[in-house]
Amino acid sequence: MREVFPRRRERRERKLGDGRETWRVPRTQNPRLSQLLLSETNRVWPQTLQSAHPPAAWLSTSGISRPSSTLSTCHSCHKGIPDALILLLSSPRPCMRQGSGVPGASSGATIFALSSGQGRCGIAVIRTSGPASGHALRSLTAPRDLPPARSACLRLLSHPRSGEPLDRALVLWFPGPQSFTGEDCAEFHVHGGPAVVSGVLQALGSVPGLRPAEAGEFTRRAFAHGKLSLTEVEGLADLIHAETEAQRRQALRQLDGELGHLCHGWAKTLTKALAHVEAYIDFGEDDNLEEGVLERGGSLKGWGHLASQPLEVPSLHPLHLLASTANSEVRELELALGAHLRDARRGQRLRSGAHVVVAGPPNAGKSSLVNLLSRKPVSIVSPEPGTTRDVLETPVDLAGFPALLSDTAGLREGAGPVEQEGVRRARERLEQADLILAVLDASELASPSSCNFLDTVVAPTVAGSPSGDSQRLLLLLNKSDLLPPGGLDPSPNLPPHLLLSCLTGEGLDGLLEALRKELAEVCGDPSTGPPLLTRARHQHHLQGCLDALGHYAKTRDLALAAEALRLARGHLARITGGGGTEEILDVIFRDFCVGK
Amino acid sequence: MFSLRSCGLWVAASLTKKRLTLARFSGDSAAPLATKFDVIVIGGGHAGTEAAAAAARCGSRTLLLTHRVDTIGQMSCNPSFGGIGKGHLMREVDALDGLCSRICDQSGVHYKVLNRRKGPAVWGLRAQIDRKLYKQNMQKEILSTPLLAVQEGAVEDLILTEPEPEHPGKCRVSGVVLADGSTIHAECVVLTTGTFLRGVIVIGLEMHPAGRLGDQPSVGLAQTLEKLGFVVGRLKTGTPPRIAKESINFSILNKQTPDNPSIPFSFINETVWIKPEDQLPCYLTHTNPKVDEIVLDNLHLNSHIKETTRGPRYCPSIESKVLRFPNRLHQVWLEPEGMDSDLIYPQGLSVTLPAELQEKMIKCIKGLENAKMIQPGYGVQYDYLDPRQITPSLETHLVQRLFFAGQINGTTGYEEAAAQGVIAGINASLRVKRKPPFVVSRTEGYIGVLIDDLTTLGTNEPYRMFTSRAEFRLSLRPDNADSRLTLRGHKEVGCVSQQRYERASWMKSSLEEGISVLKSIELSSSKWKKLIPEASISIDKSLPLRALDVLKYEEVDMKLLATAVPEPLKKYTECKELAERLKIEASYESVLFHQQQQIKEVQQDEALQLPKDLDYLTLRDVSLSYEVREKLHFIRPETIGAAGRIPGVTPAAIINLLRFVKTTQQRQVALNHLPNTHQSLRDTEELEQRQL
Repeated sequence: MREVFPRRRERRERKLGDGRETWRVPRTQNPRLSQLLLSETNRVWPQTLQSAHPPAAWLSTSGISRPSSTLSTCHSCHKGIPDALILLLSSPRPCMRQGSGVPGASSGATIFALSSGQGRCGIAVIRTSGPASGHALRSLTAPRDLPPARSACLRLLSHPRSGEPLDRALVLWFPGPQSFTGEDCAEFHVHGGPAVVSGVLQALGSVPGLRPAEAGEFTRRAFAHGKLSLTEVEGLADLIHAETEAQRRQALRQLDGELGHLCHGWAKTLTKALAHVEAYIDFGEDDNLEEGVLERGGSLKGWGHLASQPLEVPSLHPLHLLASTANSEVRELELALGAHLRDARRGQRLRSGAHVVVAGPPNAGKSSLVNLLSRKPVSIVSPEPGTTRDVLETPVDLAGFPALLSDTAGLREGAGPVEQEGVRRARERLEQADLILAVLDASELASPSSCNFLDTVVAPTVAGSPSGDSQRLLLLLNKSDLLPPGGLDPSPNLPPHLLLSCLTGEGLDGLLEALRKELAEVCGDPSTGPPLLTRARHQHHLQGCLDALGHYAKTRDLALAAEALRLARGHLARITGGGGTEEILDVIFRDFCVGK
Repeated sequence: MFSLRSCGLWVAASLTKKRLTLARFSGDSAAPLATKFDVIVIGGGHAGTEAAAAAARCGSRTLLLTHRVDTIGQMSCNPSFGGIGKGHLMREVDALDGLCSRICDQSGVHYKVLNRRKGPAVWGLRAQIDRKLYKQNMQKEILSTPLLAVQEGAVEDLILTEPEPEHPGKCRVSGVVLADGSTIHAECVVLTTGTFLRGVIVIGLEMHPAGRLGDQPSVGLAQTLEKLGFVVGRLKTGTPPRIAKESINFSILNKQTPDNPSIPFSFINETVWIKPEDQLPCYLTHTNPKVDEIVLDNLHLNSHIKETTRGPRYCPSIESKVLRFPNRLHQVWLEPEGMDSDLIYPQGLSVTLPAELQEKMIKCIKGLENAKMIQPGYGVQYDYLDPRQITPSLETHLVQRLFFAGQINGTTGYEEAAAQGVIAGINASLRVKRKPPFVVSRTEGYIGVLIDDLTTLGTNEPYRMFTSRAEFRLSLRPDNADSRLTLRGHKEVGCVSQQRYERASWMKSSLEEGISVLKSIELSSSKWKKLIPEASISIDKSLPLRALDVLKYEEVDMKLLATAVPEPLKKYTECKELAERLKIEASYESVLFHQQQQIKEVQQDEALQLPKDLDYLTLRDVSLSYEVREKLHFIRPETIGAAGRIPGVTPAAIINLLRFVKTTQQRQVALNHLPNTHQSLRDTEELEQRQL
């Protein structure tokens, strides 16, 4: 988080009713805004706030032992069985078969999911179930003690890794077996905004031992622990069928896009890398993976090779080439995954607000636009050029999207040192913007400052790739009320633009519609489906995959290395499907001539 | 023209036959030869010998029926045992006191552990075996096994009787009919007929009905099985030609020397019978474009290749290698067939060309320019029975008390056959004693992976074990097979000798104790660094380091650790095997913790058993699609876990099945918990009903 509210906000401490929690909230000039920040906020927090919640330090002091790594959720053994069923089938009852020695204790991962409906709503309920529920609750709420069992408590939720506050929420703690599933459960009643929900889900996903629940998994756990009667569970199969069907459709929809192609590509790479490592293990020596095959990645040696130089001793055969091909593929994959995860900016934007920067030459009406959009006098407006000298920020709801609106100094050369500093800051802010609202005076398009702005800011941004993560720009021609009745002079060099008058409000509807479209692109549109949930899932599994790849790189024991790849592939398979042993063997036998 | 009579194998076999003219041999001279046995095992190959010996070890009076006693323990293809995955299976067979590992320790001529540099979970114990010695030692073992009798004879038919009402199946086997019309009765029959079911040998365009070169196929039995309604498939495999040793120019080839010291296959052996310096080397050569040319020019003379029958993808003939991967050099290992054998087995040169073309092809290869072919390579096509028709105890669904093991189930390889043999023998014996079956789960061993894959997924090519098939590979290691299986084998079955049991339980408890001691020793990393300067311990960690964590470092072994901390670690270095196994446990410790959790989850599925007599086609209370019903009906999974692994069985179907199982379970529990008074009450109720 960069520092915001540099001048106008100060911090104060607040005590909660129970006196146990202390945290800092920014105070704004605007009491409504302050309220907003308290209730919904996860958007704008000063840097110092984060240090009020040191991310992991308290974990050790509170005596909670962190599992050394996340629980493994790869069940590649269940070739045909959906992973969800493994948990469904877990029964703590004594088993019928003799001597299998299964302990009765609950086992397996802790799951979490949004239990209330999707979309915007007042309150959203997020549930966890499993042995690490208590740990998760403490990780998000920070106090050493769990709340009293089965009674609602108000807590500030913050991200366990970054310490970033997420929401003030009601939390409930249900120690097993007196809970819905019979396991330890926790409930988080959070504000229903999609940003809050996705934030809390991602925070839970980052707690070791937690993973997103599969379809119907809570109900199945409840069933497995005898919390649901057989008649109650009559409809479960239909439910699960429906849910898996919905999930499948949802996954298809999700995977249709760019991310889908990426994931499939990664899964393919990983399957191949794993197949090659497995081939190296299973056939490297016993069944002599043959030299020509091994050099697939490199140069294929010709027939003359055998005659010209003696072959190496078999045990020294260049089998390592095979693993090195896999190694380089895995390294590339690791980089790609890491880049993708770092670039999970869209979700970030939705949570913290898109950065919308208003820029333009002096006196184009930028501050007027900011005041118009935020419906309050954020900036001082005067007819004098250079009135705004610093970057002024205000969080606003723009066409339904959270946004951080920045008013900047008019870009011009040769002003006084204070204004020059303002211009420098304005340029800096422009670079960080997700969406630029470029404002020009419609009646002064020919002026040098307008032309300069068009050439140096508008043209390069518009020319940048229109898709992907590049900056977006809306060109606004303000002061349309000053234009002669014939309208704007036709100018062939002008990119697509909107006419607007901040004074009369003319063109505002068009602007809001355009903003909605742009922000939907920038943030991802939460109304078109469930990407929030799946995004949290994706991120969880991609992170798991990345962690496993890290283990692969570190280990020297090839069996352990292969295990890391299996785990990584298991995570990707949760997103893309597939992942059976047969798939690997197919690659092995397609790629290698193994046999005696 | 090549003639069957001229092959060395045949001659050797005929000579032996003259020595053994008795019709029936009894290992147990004290026991009278009964006309009724507990278990009859048909076939004396790798599955048959293990099955017969296992049944006898379990205390059943057992008869081994074979075409010829002198072919018992015959290694009909490669002169080697073990390998990656296969070595794992052998260790597990040995853990159940099976034969092949011990016999291999007495018969090998070149012991080498593969994958030495890839981590102990995937080490592959392997050895070149002297065919003659192996056969001799195996026959000696079989003929001296108490309770085990051996008889020569060809089985033509099975004796079938009414089924037991408490078990599923349409009839029950109660004995066999031999070719001469005589009958032998038994409680259980284990069929291990290998490639003999309608076996056909193919060389070029010639086809001879035979199970193995020189042996008659079993046609009558194949017909009986088909009539009973078993689904039969056809597979093919092949074997390379054999070459005269003295005709090979070894001096220009790459030599591979055996390991020093040799690692024995069996847990109960400290060492093998032969010193490393007395062992024989192997040699490596390669094919070349001339070989490709001969193969490609003569495809029209090669009926085996033209057939559509599926062959293994991983043990392909030279023809399929050339066709699938053209323009490559393919390796050919020249392996000794035995100490005093003058034959060399060219592994990688499996071929079915006409004999004269085979010889021409061989002579193109480096080192083999003057090679003399003693016996041509040939292809074998044979019937196998879809293994989804058998239970995890290897008993058939259709015929009660009939067990299948080995190649008949669609597998390939001696070790896969031996593994099934042990399980079939044990379960046949348990069936006679009316005890619950002995099933190894996928979480417990490669044997479990093998049998679970076969019985739930089936196979359409000869199935071979790979370590990549085992999802819990890090737990199922060759070093710990005894901890996994020996104790179970002793407790549940009694197929393990007391000596082996004591050794395994001592090892298990010592390991557990050692690990907890290693966990208890905690020092700062800088102190460890001082104590063991050889290890690359990073001293930036402020947390204390356990001795177990230090043992994870590649450079550290128990010996080094014990010099640093002699008390209390010194005593764990006294037994070399224990010290090595502690090191292995340490290096996998962190991953094993997570794997154990997964294993638990899987075991819980496996614990939910589906009733054996469930009629899926007519089951009323469960909503299942017809497709799923048919699949369940054919495969008859024993547990919910196995049902879930069947392709096409949907999650919804599993839920419905689960619901069904829970209901039945609850009913069962309720019945069992009825107090005695209730029991008598029920009796009176019944009486009243009757009176009514």
